[in-house]
Amino acid sequence: MSAEELLKKAESLLSGVGQGTTRPEPNRLDVVVPASDLVAAATALRGADWGYLSTLTGVDLGKDANEIEVLYHVCERDAVTTLRVRVPRAGGTVPSLHTVHPNAMLFERELIEMFGVTVTGLADTSHLFLPDGWPEGTYPLLKDTDVRAAAAKTTGSEPPEMGRHGDRFIVPVGPQHPALKEPGHFEFAVDGERVTGATVRLGYVHRGIERAAENQTYTQNLYLTERVCGICSHSHANAYVNGVEQLAKIPAPPRAQAIRQLVACLERIHSHLLWLGVAAYEAGFDTLLMYSWRDREIVMDILEQLTGNRVNYSANILGGVKYDVTAAIAPVIRRGLDKLEERAKHYLHVVTADTSFLSRAQGIGVTSKEEAASLEMLGPTLRAAGVARDVRIDAPYGSYKQFPVTMVLDSAGDLAARFKVRVLEMLESIRVIRVILDGLPEGTLSVKFPRRIPAGETISRFEAPRGELFYYLKSNGTDKPERVKIRTPTICNWIYVLTKAVGAQMADVPPLLASIDPCFSCNDRMIVVNRGGGDRRIWTRENPQRLAGAQTRR
Amino acid sequence: MLVDIWSSFFKKPVTQRYPFERLEAPEQFRGRLVWDPSKCNGCCLCIKDCPANALELITIDKKAKQFVMRYHADRCTYCSQCVQSCRSECLRMAHDQWEPASLSRHDFVVDYGNEADIAHILEKYGTPSARATAAKTSE
Amino acid sequence: MRALINLLFFPGGLFLILLALAYEWADRKLLARFENRIGPRWFQTVADIVKLLVKEEITPATSHPILFGVLPVVAMTGALTAALYVPLLGMRPALSFNGDLIVTLYLLSLLTMAVGMAGWNSTSRFTMMGATRALTQLFSYEAPFMLALLGPAVVAQSWQINQIVANNRGVWLLLTQPFGFAVALIGLMGKLEMPPFDAPKAKTEIVAGALTEYSGRGLGLFHLGKGIELVVGLTLIAALYMGGIANPVEFFGKTLLLLVVLTSLHAILTRLRIDQTVGLWWRYGALVVLLQWLALIVWKGVTA
Repeated sequence: MSAEELLKKAESLLSGVGQGTTRPEPNRLDVVVPASDLVAAATALRGADWGYLSTLTGVDLGKDANEIEVLYHVCERDAVTTLRVRVPRAGGTVPSLHTVHPNAMLFERELIEMFGVTVTGLADTSHLFLPDGWPEGTYPLLKDTDVRAAAAKTTGSEPPEMGRHGDRFIVPVGPQHPALKEPGHFEFAVDGERVTGATVRLGYVHRGIERAAENQTYTQNLYLTERVCGICSHSHANAYVNGVEQLAKIPAPPRAQAIRQLVACLERIHSHLLWLGVAAYEAGFDTLLMYSWRDREIVMDILEQLTGNRVNYSANILGGVKYDVTAAIAPVIRRGLDKLEERAKHYLHVVTADTSFLSRAQGIGVTSKEEAASLEMLGPTLRAAGVARDVRIDAPYGSYKQFPVTMVLDSAGDLAARFKVRVLEMLESIRVIRVILDGLPEGTLSVKFPRRIPAGETISRFEAPRGELFYYLKSNGTDKPERVKIRTPTICNWIYVLTKAVGAQMADVPPLLASIDPCFSCNDRMIVVNRGGGDRRIWTRENPQRLAGAQTRR
Repeated sequence: MLVDIWSSFFKKPVTQRYPFERLEAPEQFRGRLVWDPSKCNGCCLCIKDCPANALELITIDKKAKQFVMRYHADRCTYCSQCVQSCRSECLRMAHDQWEPASLSRHDFVVDYGNEADIAHILEKYGTPSARATAAKTSE
Repeated sequence: MRALINLLFFPGGLFLILLALAYEWADRKLLARFENRIGPRWFQTVADIVKLLVKEEITPATSHPILFGVLPVVAMTGALTAALYVPLLGMRPALSFNGDLIVTLYLLSLLTMAVGMAGWNSTSRFTMMGATRALTQLFSYEAPFMLALLGPAVVAQSWQINQIVANNRGVWLLLTQPFGFAVALIGLMGKLEMPPFDAPKAKTEIVAGALTEYSGRGLGLFHLGKGIELVVGLTLIAALYMGGIANPVEFFGKTLLLLVVLTSLHAILTRLRIDQTVGLWWRYGALVVLLQWLALIVWKGVTA
């Protein structure tokens, strides 16, 4: 079905509840919905199996308008339906959608703490992003909040008691733990070796990027968004720059788009190789870690030769790219790809045939197609369960129409399937890069781009190595954006991990965690999923020191 | 895997023995920023576009195009947006300057320009270290 | 006097410790080369131990302080004493009596039990899980491992290591009792908590297992104890299955060959979960070694 047909279907499904519909862009439908009809609207779409809730955005319309607009973005293939709800700035209320979309629970908690909107029907309304000691009543994403002052007033809290919680034996993983490459805090209640409960607290690297982006120009934001994550930095840069170019209605020239896709494919290879090593390390297979990270050097060297840096490539500018694939660099890329292809094929053999490895990966974390779709997961984890969802194929943008990517699917849904899918995606990326190199369009690398972007809003979706990356951009005619909303793919996969962890063996939990390819820095959010009265505390720097001192005997 | 480990055993380790072995960075590598004062016309686009406030242009004589550029190497994110924004092509990133570590913070404040101009600036505003101390005491 | 020198400096005591460090270095260097890395320099293991021995010991408040301090010493003692009964460097064992094979194995198990107790004593969540896993693993590989090592004893008709080596001189039992040899070798990996059997000290799950709360001297002693266990274990298997050890050349040659085999297995296998370890040992390990014993008994009956 084309976008037009999908949107027509959505329109008819929402005909009873909408107060006004518009088509701001060919693939977007905006429906104004009163807060009271929100659940009915979401149910209407879900009931007809139209789309998944990608995210919800809060936008402060300013002190004069005295309203906050909450946008619920539901995506189906390349069509995006946005349900727009307006609430008063102080004391606004929306009903919770978590009965319709499980992930809404997480997005709504962000809304509560960032904007001060009350969400009814949500059991756990504690902080998602912000520390526990954040001053009450201060909402960072409202335009007039002094964030610095609020941060200075944030207090720490008392550390929890170590040992047993009631009759549950709790194993903490993080914030410092050899299993984690980035900080996060998990608590697993175990009975022997079996996990009986799981809670998670993230957001240790929350940097307030969405707020910071509102104070910087569009050009400066290129580099801010790029640094949301180190390993999917180009995906963020691409999603952002695509969005800005859509707002300005100036597309980048074909050669630039092809080069962007080339770098994105290289980044995918980079990311999957890194993940392969980390996931193997979590399962205890150190040798695979060493080999895959050794081979990662090949792709990092290619990227360094092409863009000038091994991580954070900074290849994009508004309206194009900075660096060209010259006649000197193309053979270097090809040689590197040949080596990578050979290694990727070898890894495919290892992850599908090595007995000791399979004993730790096969049959663990099995997810059926229905479960994966109902939990609204994203990325290779979803594709390993057999659900065909990939933004590059569902909603191809720019050069992805000229150089299409084939979907990589597997039906087993377990850890081994995820390994297989990611290695096959590496091979697919290598193929696409070769096609791009053979058929690179001629032309300029960039076009002139204005500093002031005309007012409007747009949605930009990009398939990062971890799944769909969702950017909502709103401009106001100046050289600084009005609102930048970033929803990273990892946040959509957390509920799945916590659900699957319960009942699993403790030894399987780190590989399970690693299998969704979590990117904590992308995830600048804190999630706490309560499973029966767990403690949720945040530790400042002094607490661990004090605790360690109290805990020792000289 | 058995074949792998045995062939690795007989091959040379891939570890690069830095600092005894130093690989050359490619041409494209984004190292330290270098400014050519002769081409600059003082438009300050580089400063507007820098995401990290790493550049300052100190004007001595705008008509005669006498400037001193103060580059904060510790703030720079090496994104090369300034290189792109500059229309006179006076900025480039030196691919061979990629070991910026230093024992003192003040080595990171780099002044580019003619000798005489820089001396003039330092005299007027003090040395970077003196300037930093002055700024600190006034806070 | 001479006995004292033997005990404290050569070939026991100090020499044994240095030998243990050298073997640990060889293991780490081999592993590194298998993984295409450089690996540690020759004095690395010595430096590690010196560093640990001079570091501050931090005792958890909820542990029993005397036990906390004594258990590393117990572990070390077990390992050092076990070394008295094996033909180190091809020399006659310092002590020898009928049944010392069993005693040696139990002294090595003493080390594992000390680790388990240390984990329980530390009362941290990671250590308790690690201790449970260490003891579970002990119960699972102990029986097949012991049976595998008793195979050569049956052939030599003696329970004394000295006698076994003398009677089996030149006979490479690994050829005639391949299953027993395989079980013994893999059993040694289990005893040493070498991957794939390193679930008790799985870094990515329970930080460092039973020894998480140890630092400084206690950790140093446990570490040394494990190194000595490596040497003693390798010597035992080489002496029993590879035709005995009569001189230093044979000693180094055979034990290092075994070490290479162990490290290769270390490099190519993934860590097994504890339930998979137990399953492996109680199903396949026990079965294989019992088959071996059956073959032995039949052979004995036929040739008697």
